[in-house]
Amino acid sequence: MSQIPREVLTPITQAMNEGALTRRELKMLMRRSDVPAFLHLLLFFLVLLGTGSLIWATMGSWLVIPAMFLHGIVWVHHFSLQHECVHYTAFRTRWLNELVGNYCGLAILLPNRFFRYEHCDHHTYTQLHGRDPELIELPISLGRYLSYVSSIPYWFQKFLEFGRHLAGRLTPEEEQFIPKEDRASIIIEVRAMAAVYAAILGASAYFGWWGVLWYWLLPLFLGEPVMRAIRMTEHVGRPNVQDMTENTRTNLVSRPMRFLCWNMNYHAEHHYASSVPFHALPELHRKLQGFVHVEDRGYLGAHIDILSQIVGRTPRLGTTASETHEAVSGASGS
Amino acid sequence: MNADRRWEDLIAVSELETGDVTPVRWRGRDLAVYDTVDGVTVSLARCTHAGANLCDGYFDGKYIECPLHQGLFDARTGQAKARPAWRNLRMFDARVQGGIVQIRV
Repeated sequence: MSQIPREVLTPITQAMNEGALTRRELKMLMRRSDVPAFLHLLLFFLVLLGTGSLIWATMGSWLVIPAMFLHGIVWVHHFSLQHECVHYTAFRTRWLNELVGNYCGLAILLPNRFFRYEHCDHHTYTQLHGRDPELIELPISLGRYLSYVSSIPYWFQKFLEFGRHLAGRLTPEEEQFIPKEDRASIIIEVRAMAAVYAAILGASAYFGWWGVLWYWLLPLFLGEPVMRAIRMTEHVGRPNVQDMTENTRTNLVSRPMRFLCWNMNYHAEHHYASSVPFHALPELHRKLQGFVHVEDRGYLGAHIDILSQIVGRTPRLGTTASETHEAVSGASGS
Repeated sequence: MNADRRWEDLIAVSELETGDVTPVRWRGRDLAVYDTVDGVTVSLARCTHAGANLCDGYFDGKYIECPLHQGLFDARTGQAKARPAWRNLRMFDARVQGGIVQIRV
């Protein structure tokens, strides 16, 4: 008999124990369908076509910069779709999630299988220092805040990571969440991606057409700060504790933003029940009212909250790893 | 060698979630009883990857998906079908006798 891991209390079991929703309600919300994702994807591509057309129309004038920025804001939301795909909740058909997830990964330089494993541990150890591989620290200063939002540190780390995997190396931290059986496939994945990028750039050079720069790479880099700012709203400034009612923030945002992020603004609900597909998250939000932390003012309100904590106008709810370590040492020494 | 094994009552069929998975506590352990397209099957309820309760997961009549990381198992055989799950589920011999789901222990 195989060894069974220790029993864990998942957020959704916790929610049912607390009476937030019934098992029957949960099962209804978990139902999958391919149709909502196909329709959503079609509209997403139409929006990309629209913003891409703006780049084409403004090429040669300074207006191409804001056009690429706008296109980039839409483009970086490939991440939201990829995120839905790594949970297998975008499409009912599992291989479609793999296919679309890998496409999105190529679009934003985020290897799909690697992200899937990393994201597993993010859900298991949300906001816990040293265990959550996606944890974004509450910045200690305005400078650090601006630096993070600039996405320069993000890309620096991403390119380092990409190069390391290309060379066949994983860090000890990565080995914590990637099982031995699948480590080779992580390396193969990144090498395959590198081959695709090389082929695209080679073809661009051969044909002398650099649309990949204007419609893809430059907009991606211009738009990434918006995605960094959105990613901050999910957990930054929330307590570094295991309690799902505390460590995650749901942001009530406008319909266009909900569309772009595939309803992932309902982030606390998503962490409660990650098997609930994106199209059912608004309903789960209604069921879980009072059980999760909600920022009524949306992304802007979340950043006001984060900035208030950084400048000391409100107490810091998030802690740095060293603060956590000091608190633990102090408690054990007293 | 299994001469001493016997069938033990687990749950009435009428108490099962039709077409879904039903949690049962048995001798201090969590079991999952699946109403599959091929009949009733029973496994340990904990995911072999990280220990989440599979009874809270999405079940389509054949496959049970872990509610925490979306690993996938065939609920009829216990076979792990998709990462991050790679160890099979521990299944019990199960049958329905007189309207009661029984497992062999």
